[in-house]
Amino acid sequence: MTTTTELTEDYLRRLDAVQPKNLPEDLDLFDEETATRGIRLNKAAYSLKDDEQRRLFADDEDRWMEQFGLTDEERDLVRRRDWIGLWRNGLSIYVMVKLSGVTDTALPEIGKQMRESGGKA
Amino acid sequence: MARVIGGIGASHAPSMEHVYDAGENVRGADEWQPLFGPFEQVAKWLEELQPDRLVVIYNDHMDEFFLSAYPTFALGVADEYPIADEGFGARPFPPLPGDARFGWHIARGLVADEFDPTICQELEVDHGVISPLPMVDFAEGEGGWKIPIVPLAVNVILHPLPTPRRCFKLGQALRRAILSYPEDLGVVVVGTGGLSHQLTGPRFGAVKEEWDREFMRILVEDPEPLCDLTHEELILRGGTESVEVVNWLAMRAALPGDAKPVVEAYYPHRIMGYGLQAYAVDGAAA
Repeated sequence: MTTTTELTEDYLRRLDAVQPKNLPEDLDLFDEETATRGIRLNKAAYSLKDDEQRRLFADDEDRWMEQFGLTDEERDLVRRRDWIGLWRNGLSIYVMVKLSGVTDTALPEIGKQMRESGGKA
Repeated sequence: MARVIGGIGASHAPSMEHVYDAGENVRGADEWQPLFGPFEQVAKWLEELQPDRLVVIYNDHMDEFFLSAYPTFALGVADEYPIADEGFGARPFPPLPGDARFGWHIARGLVADEFDPTICQELEVDHGVISPLPMVDFAEGEGGWKIPIVPLAVNVILHPLPTPRRCFKLGQALRRAILSYPEDLGVVVVGTGGLSHQLTGPRFGAVKEEWDREFMRILVEDPEPLCDLTHEELILRGGTESVEVVNWLAMRAALPGDAKPVVEAYYPHRIMGYGLQAYAVDGAAA
């Protein structure tokens, strides 16, 4: 069969290595799963690169959130500044940093929450 | 013809920007001298070496590129690179000078070597470039940046990531692209990022000093075996965000095998393993 000759052991090993899958549960990645789940949150927080969006956030957080079709749960996570929850719902750390700016949250504060969260929910 | 006359590996981090922007007293204080002292040595070395261009291999942090279309490799072919607004307002630096012609040549060189980067005529650079660069290449009070750059961005944040081997080969292809440029330019290749850090989850803040030191040692002595590491192994050793070290690996591959560090520093502090290496290339001094 063609497939056995084309799908060599070397190729399959390399394919396997591209997606880390044996990491401990508390070492999470930004990959297919998180990028898909988090697309709304990431779009929302990414908008905060723009000063006008930052002003809108400061003026009326709910109205700011309405632009991105966030789910009720996602809105709640933003309102509660639940950083570990936001991460688990697919907000990239680098986009999260933009949300930390408008909410005046220092990185160590985010870190404290992350560390205290224990294992994966 | 252009020459590769040196290399620099340097961590990048917003913390380095905060310290730099806080002024000379903070930079010179005990807390940061183990990092900023060696950076001053690199600046001095660079001033003597007088490179004509810097090629900066770095990664964007969703400040120019976004998930709508995230490039695996992206190359700047512009005459200037503005500073990105990362969510706090852009840092008050003038745009970095570029060299579009040289950038386009590198694009052709990479494509000839079967690397196909996203080619960017406009590119805003973030702390992946401008957290280490002012320490070595900015003249305060003298009108700014000294050396034109060509930025080369590597995806290290959205898996699947290019493998360490791929990034090593990228550095080799970059070297050939530089060497084949007809103008007589002295080029220093810079790789930024790492070393160990973990910014997500319960292990937030973990620094892996032993691995960082080993990585720096192997990178000097015999870098190619690092290509055998998977991202999973890199993450287990240095943390989720430490995979940025592939930018150092690409930089190293652009240098001759016998290049040696003239400045080397490692400073594990707070939530980062900060690393710095400046490589001299034999016979490169003009």
